Amino acid sequence: MWWLLLLPSLLFADTNSTDERVVGTFYFNPMFGHVHQSAIRTSASLTTIQCSHPVKVIESSKISVSKEWAYVQVADYRGFIRKEFLSVKRPECFQGKYPRFFDAFNLDLSELYYWGRLNDQFIQGETRVK
Amino acid sequence: MKMLALFSCLISLSVYSQSEKLQEEKELEVVNFNSIKKILMQDGLSEAAKKKEKQVQILKKEQAKVETGRYMYPSEDEIWGFTTEYWLIKNAQLLDWDFEKPDYGIDKSFRTLMQDLGFYQKKFKILLVNSPNIVRAALPGNQEVVLIISVPFIRMMDLSKLEISLMLFEDFLRLDLGYFKKSVATEKLTKIAGSNFQGAKPDISFVEELLKNYSSQINEKGYSFQQMFEVTKKMDAYLKSNPELWNAYFRLLGKMDRFLKTNIQFKEYIKLYPSPEMQVKWLSPDEKVL
Repeated sequence: MWWLLLLPSLLFADTNSTDERVVGTFYFNPMFGHVHQSAIRTSASLTTIQCSHPVKVIESSKISVSKEWAYVQVADYRGFIRKEFLSVKRPECFQGKYPRFFDAFNLDLSELYYWGRLNDQFIQGETRVK
Repeated sequence: MKMLALFSCLISLSVYSQSEKLQEEKELEVVNFNSIKKILMQDGLSEAAKKKEKQVQILKKEQAKVETGRYMYPSEDEIWGFTTEYWLIKNAQLLDWDFEKPDYGIDKSFRTLMQDLGFYQKKFKILLVNSPNIVRAALPGNQEVVLIISVPFIRMMDLSKLEISLMLFEDFLRLDLGYFKKSVATEKLTKIAGSNFQGAKPDISFVEELLKNYSSQINEKGYSFQQMFEVTKKMDAYLKSNPELWNAYFRLLGKMDRFLKTNIQFKEYIKLYPSPEMQVKWLSPDEKVL
C-alpha cells in the first residue's frame, strides 16, 4: 500500500507535462529588453536580453496572460514579454549590423538595464495606411 | 621444355620491369587525369569543378563584403535613432521615465488626431516622464518620432486627451520643420555617417558631441520666436479646416499662458518655447480699428 502515497505526486507530474505546450521559438526585436516577473511594463526584470535572442513561447493552462503579453522561457527563466517585441524571423539588429561601432560604446550593465526598460516604457504607435 | 623456360623467363622480365617504376610515377599516373579526361568531360565533372571554383570566388567576395560591413558607421537616420535613445538612457534618473502610470489612452487619441489631419503611415513613440524638469520634446528616431511629455505638467494643467494630443502634434510639426536637427547636428555627423573605418578605431566622439548638443537644445537653448511663429502658423493651417480642433488648440494656448504665468515650477518653459501668450496673439484675428 505504500505506493498509494506516491500517487498524488505522479498525477501532478503528469498534468504538469500535458498542460504545457511550446508554441514555438521566436526572436526578440528591440535592441534590449527584459523578461518580466509579471505581465506589467514596470514589473521586475528576471533577466535582460538583447535583439535576436531566441525566446520559447509557452502556453499553459495554469498561466493566464492578456493578449498583449506572452509567457516565455529564456534559459532557466520563465516570465513575460510583450508580444509586439517578438518575431518569427530573426531580426536585423543594430548591434549585429554595426558590431564594431556598437562595441566602442562599451555600455555598462546599468545602461543595458535602462535600455531594456526604455523599450518597455515607450508607447508605440503608427498611423494607418491611407 | 625450351618453350616453357622461355615463357617463364618472359613473365619474370615483365614483373621486373613493372617493379622498376618509381612510386612517384605511379602516383602521377593516378593523379594524371589526362588518361580519363574524355570520360570526365563526358560526365561533366570538369564543368562542375569550374562551377565550384566560381562559387568559392563568389563566397569569398561576400565574406569580404560582410567583413567590410562590420566596420561601417550607421546611416544618418540610424545615428539619430541611436543617439536619441542613448540620450534618454543617459538621462534616465533626471527625467524619471521608469515609473508606473495609468493608461491615458494617449496613443489612440494621438493616432486619431494625426489621421484626421491626413498624416498617414507615421511611426511614433511617446514617453511619459515623471519630472517637471522637461515639459515636452520631440526627438528624431530612426524613421519615427520620439515624443516626450511630462506627467506632472499634464496633471497640474489638468489636460484632456485631446489637449495632450494637440501638444504632441505641435511637437511633431516642430521636429518635421527640422529645427531640432539643424540646431543639434554637427559637421562630423554628416561626414562620418554611412562611411567605413576598416583598419582604424571607430570614432564615437561625434555621438558624445551630439549628446551634449541634445542636452543644451532641450534644457537651455530651446526655440526662437521666429521658429515658434512658423510652428504656430503651421498648426493654424492644419487645424483651420476643423474648427473644433482649432478652438481646442486656441483654448489650450490660453490655458497654458495663464498656468505658466502663475506657476514658478515651470518658469523655464517660456524661455524654451516662446511663448503661449505670443502664440495666442499670432492666432487671434487682427483687430480692425474703425
